[in-house]
Amino acid sequence: MEIFRRLVKNRISLFGLILLVLFVLIAIAAPWLAPPKEGSDPYRIPRRGWTLEPTPPSAKYPLGLTQGQYDIYYGIVWGTRTAFRVGIIVISFRALIGIILGSISAYYGGILDEVLMRFTDIFMSFPYLIGVVVFVAIFGPGLNNVMIPLIALGWMPYARMIRGNILAIKQEEYVLAARAIGANDFKIITRHILPNTIFPVLIQASMQIGSIVISVSGLSFLGLGAPEGYADWGQMLSFARNWMLGEQGNVLKYWFTVIYPGLAMVLFVLSWNLIGDAFRDIMDPRIQA
Amino acid sequence: MLSYILRRLLFLPVVLFGITILIFMLISTLGPWTRVATFVPSPDAERHVDLEAMIKKYHLDDPPVKMYLRWVNNLLHGNLGWSQSSHMTVTEAIRRRFPATLELTLFSVIPVIIGGIILGVISAVHHNKPIDHTTRIMAIALWSLPDFVLGLAVLMVGFGVLGWFPPGRLSSWAQLEVLKESFRSFTGMYTLDALLNLRLDIFWDALRHIIAPVITLSCLWWAFMLRITRSSMLDVLNQDYVRTARAKGLAEAVVIKKHALSNALIPVTTVAGNMLLGLMGGVVIVETVFNYSGLGLLTSTAATRLDVPCVVGVAIFYATILVLVNLVVDVLYSIIDPRVRLE
Repeated sequence: MEIFRRLVKNRISLFGLILLVLFVLIAIAAPWLAPPKEGSDPYRIPRRGWTLEPTPPSAKYPLGLTQGQYDIYYGIVWGTRTAFRVGIIVISFRALIGIILGSISAYYGGILDEVLMRFTDIFMSFPYLIGVVVFVAIFGPGLNNVMIPLIALGWMPYARMIRGNILAIKQEEYVLAARAIGANDFKIITRHILPNTIFPVLIQASMQIGSIVISVSGLSFLGLGAPEGYADWGQMLSFARNWMLGEQGNVLKYWFTVIYPGLAMVLFVLSWNLIGDAFRDIMDPRIQA
Repeated sequence: MLSYILRRLLFLPVVLFGITILIFMLISTLGPWTRVATFVPSPDAERHVDLEAMIKKYHLDDPPVKMYLRWVNNLLHGNLGWSQSSHMTVTEAIRRRFPATLELTLFSVIPVIIGGIILGVISAVHHNKPIDHTTRIMAIALWSLPDFVLGLAVLMVGFGVLGWFPPGRLSSWAQLEVLKESFRSFTGMYTLDALLNLRLDIFWDALRHIIAPVITLSCLWWAFMLRITRSSMLDVLNQDYVRTARAKGLAEAVVIKKHALSNALIPVTTVAGNMLLGLMGGVVIVETVFNYSGLGLLTSTAATRLDVPCVVGVAIFYATILVLVNLVVDVLYSIIDPRVRLE
């Protein structure tokens, strides 16, 4: 609560919080803001025509129609849900794997620790975007096939953090006391050690949601992630690639195909980063002075 | 010191072994047809021989251990298979495209180091003053800009509106010049080669093409470097020895330059490896946006066409470079900061 109070007090992070709440509201209200057609998959952006050339914003379609007449407004609203879903799924699995491996490694120590940490090093020395591309080249494009390697190549920092935190408190008296009264390992880890180490890691992890959404959208932009017509901001921006140079004498003719989906992405990521940056200062005791 | 370097060196083959095993396990899930391509040096064999014979010929029905060893043996001899998307061997494709990516990365490191470190120091020295807030907000904003959104915007303004920074690597006239006999290729990096050939017009053309991708690629890491330098500098400025230096009456500029900065830069060097990793990943998107024909464009094109041997080849190439660079960074780090060796 103390942390929350300080986040609200800081004007920069307050702005981030407001933005984030706005996105949450959009995601929740998506069925009312942009009602999908009865019986169709709501994550498919509806097409309002069949010509290739984008149509500028009009009263009927406020943000215009991108290549292939996909409705930009609809795509942005439902894309918010995609962004949250992708970010939350990837982060939770990363944190889960990190917590399990990190706590085993720290608690048992010795050879197991050595092996697990070398394992972590190997995963860390892989350029992860390239890793994702390898995975997609082998298993084919798709949102899931992007998220799996992002999880597999992203849990290491959390494992290390948890391990470090646990090593630091392992010798604290309350842990020794729990062992002295005969609690078993599982109980000591889950009841005494994790609650005291997990919180900072979970916060750090959630702040990564912004950058994960960037990675996934980037891959969709390359055509490796979400399929064409799926409500995903990166996928919508890949349409813009063919039109961004406009036409002779009117370079900015198709500005709306870049600006609107781009703005949605930037604001979403910005909201996480603003909060994350304030958090870092709050959690870092060195900068208190 | 020596034992530290030795330990790091011994770890090198372990990492490479782990990476190849990981990739091999992924490849093993493929059907034999696709897998055959990762073993064949050219596609001619593929066309005339039937599947059974191919599998026999390349021993694809061997037990996994044997197959793995043969594959690694191929890798060690530089045989990475045939790339269907670029119609040449993967080794050849990498050899041709790598200089372009190296050029792009080297150019991007300069603004990152200069801009990031200098602004980071200024920001820390003026902690909580307006200049600190401004640079910080700027850094967060840049950090939040996805590289492909930024890239599209830079291309739209820099090429579409202003006409300054065209996409690609060279204009077509310069491309023809470069292919002529009289133009000697030293490094494959056009800016450097043009200078060595004393062709300022080509140098200028290559520079115009590289600026936009460099801006896009470096922005994010520029912001990252600024953050690291700032917090490390803030940490150092609160230390006792800095207070001592001030107490004995040294000028503030001397305190910052001589006492604080050199210590504040130690953690900054550790992220150099991370930065390189990020830049190398970043080129995949940036090169695609600007149609800059380096390894990144090669990778993304290969991936969309499901050209597995090419993507795998690039991944192994990248991983090897990365491991070597990390090794160098670690050794340098242990030279700069004696505390590291004691672990």
